[in-house]
Amino acid sequence: MGTRRLSGLQKDVLRLYRDCLRAIKTKPEETQHRFRAFARQEFEKNIVSVKRTDVRAIEYMLRVGRRRMEQYMSPNVRDISFI
Amino acid sequence: MFRVASIRLAALVSRARVAATVTAAPRLAINKPNMMPSIITSARWYSDNGGLSREKIESRIINLLQDFDKVNQEKLTPTADFSKDLGLDSLDTVEVVMAIEEEFSVEIPDDDADNISSVKKAIDYIAGREDAN
Repeated sequence: MGTRRLSGLQKDVLRLYRDCLRAIKTKPEETQHRFRAFARQEFEKNIVSVKRTDVRAIEYMLRVGRRRMEQYMSPNVRDISFI
Repeated sequence: MFRVASIRLAALVSRARVAATVTAAPRLAINKPNMMPSIITSARWYSDNGGLSREKIESRIINLLQDFDKVNQEKLTPTADFSKDLGLDSLDTVEVVMAIEEEFSVEIPDDDADNISSVKKAIDYIAGREDAN
């Protein structure tokens, strides 16, 4: 097999990422690549800043992340700019 | 399994016909045919996935991975592991599985998606999905 088994927490993170990608498909096509790059960047930022053993921090960030995703899912948000 | 289903179906059809022609009660005549669809859909057809052969699935998945710029193209084979061979991290893998969803117009539930970690597993999964196209 060789493939690493994912922990429950890892699965939760990947599920949030998957939900973000699904949500991005509801955005105008020409802006989707920016939303995707933004989501990716936000996840990567936290991958380096949070220790993988810090369960409480990860759970907290999952909640924050989901809430932010829901905010961005508003149809009023049509485009995004970030650095 | 098919035989049993077809015998039952035949029995139902003939009963329904009898109901429709002989019985005067309209309730029966309406109810019997209504039972048929559930019996038809409960029969499984183990066919070759509506023309989606394994080779076709394989080449479409490989093509899709060739367009994915993070993939280590030199190690791209039908048995390659997403992380060990192709150098993809877990976020990349999510992106690849989503791309496969779009390619074959299926929705892959989270639990299934979590287990797709190699080209072979992706091919197996799509081959097992009767609604993939």
